[in-house]
Amino acid sequence: MDATLLRIDEYIWEIRPTGGMRVPGRIYADAALLDALGSDQSLSQVRNVAYLPGIRRYSLAMPDIHFGYGFPIGGVAAFGVDDGVVSPGGVGYDINCGVRLLATDLTRADVEGTMKRVVDQVFRDVPSGVGSHGAIQKLDRAELTRLVVRGAAWAVEHGFGHPRDLEYTEAEGALPDADPDALSDRAFQRGLDQVGTLGSGNHFLEIQVVDEIFDPVAARAFGLFEGQITLMVHCGSRGFGYQVCEDYLGVMAAATSRYGIELPDRQLACAPVTSPEAERYLAAMACAANYAWANRQMIMHLVEEALMRALSIGPRDLGLRLVYDVAHNIAKIEEHTHDGTTELLCVHRKGATRAFPPGHPELPAAYREVGQPVLIPGDMGTASFVCRGTQAAMDQTFGSTCHGAGRVLSRAAATKRSQGRSIERELAAAGVTVRSQGRKTLQEELPEAYKDVEEVVRVMDGAGISPRVARLRPLGVVKG
Amino acid sequence: MEACRRWTPADRAAAYRVLDHPADLWLELYGARLPQLFEHGLLALYDNLVALSGVRLTASRTVEAQGASAADALRALLAEALFLFDTEGFLAAGARVTVEAGAPITVRAVLCGEPLDRERHELLAEVKAVTYHRLQAEAHPDGSWRATVLLDV
Repeated sequence: MDATLLRIDEYIWEIRPTGGMRVPGRIYADAALLDALGSDQSLSQVRNVAYLPGIRRYSLAMPDIHFGYGFPIGGVAAFGVDDGVVSPGGVGYDINCGVRLLATDLTRADVEGTMKRVVDQVFRDVPSGVGSHGAIQKLDRAELTRLVVRGAAWAVEHGFGHPRDLEYTEAEGALPDADPDALSDRAFQRGLDQVGTLGSGNHFLEIQVVDEIFDPVAARAFGLFEGQITLMVHCGSRGFGYQVCEDYLGVMAAATSRYGIELPDRQLACAPVTSPEAERYLAAMACAANYAWANRQMIMHLVEEALMRALSIGPRDLGLRLVYDVAHNIAKIEEHTHDGTTELLCVHRKGATRAFPPGHPELPAAYREVGQPVLIPGDMGTASFVCRGTQAAMDQTFGSTCHGAGRVLSRAAATKRSQGRSIERELAAAGVTVRSQGRKTLQEELPEAYKDVEEVVRVMDGAGISPRVARLRPLGVVKG
Repeated sequence: MEACRRWTPADRAAAYRVLDHPADLWLELYGARLPQLFEHGLLALYDNLVALSGVRLTASRTVEAQGASAADALRALLAEALFLFDTEGFLAAGARVTVEAGAPITVRAVLCGEPLDRERHELLAEVKAVTYHRLQAEAHPDGSWRATVLLDV
């Protein structure tokens, strides 16, 4: 065991500051998850983040932490807006990668025997896979400029969804500071043809059934009941977001030396929140975040059409509505209170989900008494969870929690372990119908490549940060 | 079209290996000389994007990149190739690389291949970006090179 690692309680471990660390690190995990980290170098990444100027309280890691580049995946860090920094590496390339959960009026009995048809239809209608494109007519630059300012509202205004959806989207589907002038030509070029596409890798679209309710009050508020069919979409800002990150890592590398910031890892390149570089990055990042919200809004529309076609039913029978949409790769300026002092912080969540408490003004009225829905996708063979945000999250983790299961096997190791097996057949035997563009994706995304999502979620439930509301089991999966 | 030689399985074996990383593609690249290090970086990138055997050498594109160091030039070159794939779907199965030493280092690559044909090409992974994480390139006394670069997938 690492000598600088102290156990605080059953679920919290602290890394004492050493070297240039300005604050301690804190890891949410149980003993088994911490053990599993073993030689994984993500703990050194938790330490590295603690070097950054203006960091408040802790460099945080959620139980799904794994080794990333720069910041660990599953990392949360908050910086003062006057003395802190913004780091594109603390957001990642897939800006506003996130999760959208859709509820339906259908029950398991309504879709019995239809899953192949449903999955095939969704697979046809929602473009997925490497470089997927062409969900809608290719946009021109002027239209994309409007889209990145308006976010999900752009899609709704073009007939893809309902105005109600915006209320049930984090930040109402658009960050206000988006400035298209902060974007490169390349970002525009990469973004024109990818709105409404899923992409590849760990992104997916799942048809699920609610198989257990843990918190009936919150479940009722979220409109979830046992046996109900739900849909989950996991994707982000596609090539557009990757290009924004790429562009600004270059800008930030220069800024880091200009402002005399010493870094243990170049991927942490950053600039003071108050600097012009940071302002422009945040303006471009907001464009990418808005792109992702428009993207998920568009996918919701495509999947609604696909379901109605596959099941030969109308919108009333389907009853599709948005439960919530959360970002899990993002930096946001938020108000947080600690020791009686309230201040504005730039909160970086990289592979971490916002988990705002009951009563928070950013929540839709229907959820204000129970807290924000937290959507945590698991691997494609197991389960996903709906949890809820709490005051404990606000007090301890800047209103944040885990974002998924977190990988344990490298892609190469997962591929090796898949040799001679048909992942598709194994999943079918477990009651999950899966379609994927690439055979390799299924091998790399093998269920055992991930930590046990039940265990990850149990830690954040046990720590009181994001208690479980419902478990969702996959019935059908579309992978890129 | 400026001709290149198609990369062979033997080239691939000499070009790179994949290092252990839980989520992303961490590559160790080798080159007898600096231009070959860059060429091997391109080979490794395309080898992870697409089944190379299915890519015909019927077209070419030229990309250029600069970097303050060999490592930076390598990263920038791979990012250029990735941008070309993401916007034009261009896939390469061979390349010719020239390097202009100096500050900055300028690298020019003629990429030989063809645009993506979804009916024919087997795509393998979506590479999101070429990161700066643990980006290194070092020359050995015999003039050969070794580099590490992490691709976000």
